Amino acid sequence: MSTLREEGRQIVASLAHRAGSNADRASIAQAIVSTLQEMDAALMPIIGQQGVVALYRRSLHLCASTHPRLAGTYDGLQAGMDLNALKSVLLEQSEADALFFGEALLTTFYGLLTTLIGPSLTARLLRGVWEPSLSDTSSQEHSP
Amino acid sequence: MSTKVTINRLATGVPGLDEVLGGGLPEFSFNLIAGPPGCGKTTLAHQMMFALATPERPALFFTVLGEPPLKMLRYQQQFDFFDSDAINQSIRYINLADDTLAGDLDEVLRRIVSEVETHSPGLVFVDSFRSVVLASQTQNNPNNNLPQFVQQLGMLMTTWQATTFLIGEYFSETDANPIFTVADGLIWLRQSVQRNSMVRKMEIMKMRGQPTLPGLHTFRIAASGIKVFAPAPLNPVEAPLEFPIRRLQTGVPQLDDMLGGGLPRGYSLLVAGPSGSGKSILAATFLAEGARNGETGVIAVFEQRPNHSQNATLTGLIQSGQVGLVDSRAPDLSIDEIVQLLLSEITRLGATRVVIDSLSGFELALAPTFREDFRESLSRMVTALTSLGVSVLLTSELEDRYTDLRFSPYGTAFLTDAIIVQRYIEVQSRLLRIMAVVKVRASAHSDELRLYSIDDNGLQIGGRLPDQEGLLGGRPTRRRVDHDDA
Repeated sequence: MSTLREEGRQIVASLAHRAGSNADRASIAQAIVSTLQEMDAALMPIIGQQGVVALYRRSLHLCASTHPRLAGTYDGLQAGMDLNALKSVLLEQSEADALFFGEALLTTFYGLLTTLIGPSLTARLLRGVWEPSLSDTSSQEHSP
Repeated sequence: MSTKVTINRLATGVPGLDEVLGGGLPEFSFNLIAGPPGCGKTTLAHQMMFALATPERPALFFTVLGEPPLKMLRYQQQFDFFDSDAINQSIRYINLADDTLAGDLDEVLRRIVSEVETHSPGLVFVDSFRSVVLASQTQNNPNNNLPQFVQQLGMLMTTWQATTFLIGEYFSETDANPIFTVADGLIWLRQSVQRNSMVRKMEIMKMRGQPTLPGLHTFRIAASGIKVFAPAPLNPVEAPLEFPIRRLQTGVPQLDDMLGGGLPRGYSLLVAGPSGSGKSILAATFLAEGARNGETGVIAVFEQRPNHSQNATLTGLIQSGQVGLVDSRAPDLSIDEIVQLLLSEITRLGATRVVIDSLSGFELALAPTFREDFRESLSRMVTALTSLGVSVLLTSELEDRYTDLRFSPYGTAFLTDAIIVQRYIEVQSRLLRIMAVVKVRASAHSDELRLYSIDDNGLQIGGRLPDQEGLLGGRPTRRRVDHDDA
């Protein structure tokens, strides 16, 4: 699990990097949503739209049960993978809460995929999302 | 100046499959992997894909409505051939479920073609193709354009220089199906179940331009993936018998005399006798004699508890590496699997003497589905072994039947070049053993029925019982001296 913790640190760092320093709510929400969009873009061609939606819903559910204080946020997101709805929910939070939610959600999503297809393949498929600096290869990997 | 097109043959990376295919997979061929659920279609496709895909020859794996891709990735990872590093490099998965759900074959074809044009793959897989077909049939339009779709797909893939595999669940090969017609290759996988035994079989029903090996070939799925047991290649030109015949010593000098000077090299010898008559001891002596002369041997044992039935000499030879042990207690063996185990051990050791102990145990080890063909199987095994030039000793349990003279319970006596029969007889309230050489092909041999005993040094052959007759009936009588002759 130490590698997973390492991935968790990467996710947190990547999110902070995307949101920028002194981030406001809007940029935090945008960073979370864009990360999810990239994960969707990386996974959708392989496991299909429904596969990604199912992973997203399960991650939300796991987040809410692990962190009871996120349960209210979870309740605000009904059915499907509506990232606009997620964004508006995030915008209602404080900066700290929104960031915490985003980190929890993305880490859980990553962890869930790891339990299903193993750490190395998960890292392989989502590598481009956490390594924006390698934009050359990642843009290729995101093409559907 | 005209030259024929050269079709490259790809090595599939599946042990035994290239042999069955007749020398590998033709490049740019359009193939169907078919069979009922659970027979290993997806595994076969993945194993070939991971073996064949390279950055220069990438693979596209289209998942349609079959196994959800997430689960496929999860389960295929369990096999040794799965390499995560290849994903999104030389191997790319593409989900077509949404396109297929719409049931529009033209759209499916357009998606496949556009991906193929984007990635220019050397290998294309569509799993499961059956669901493409079913989806097209649910359309309101009953005149689905499946034949046209398949024909176009086949043409496009070959033109784009992609070796293609459609994977589909089909239950009957007699269905008139446009795919069967268009496909260059048809690999049919089956699971044959008889009682509680299951054997996986593969048949190459079609492979254009290839001398495939006909018939059903057994295979297993292990952690390393699929392994096909191709029949042993037969040497078409068997070495002619050398004269004078070169002979092997059996380790029992009197028996060598009875055989006419030893067992001719490259012969198969059947030792038939009842339980406890010393067949295994003779077999061990045969191997020990070889080891004494610097030869190596292989023994295949088919007993439930091989360690308990081995004698000390044999155990020593196996431990010292002079004799290789083939002791497959895998359930549901096929003849080709056993032959392959034997051949690999013979090759490894450069063995010249082989013992099969015993045919009765061998028959039990075979999956029930092969027992009907036991004679054919045995014949193939003996031929495969002797065509290598090794000498084979086979033991066979023979029920004592004093009413008839039989050498093997399988009617297999004609298969072997030489036969030794052992018998119990009753003389003066004692159970004695007699032995005779019944046959040595193309060689003179003794016609004597000789008494023998077993002690710590093995078989000790004694004399005849000239004053007894009717030995083969088991209850000999003292020969009466006819006074009229005197």
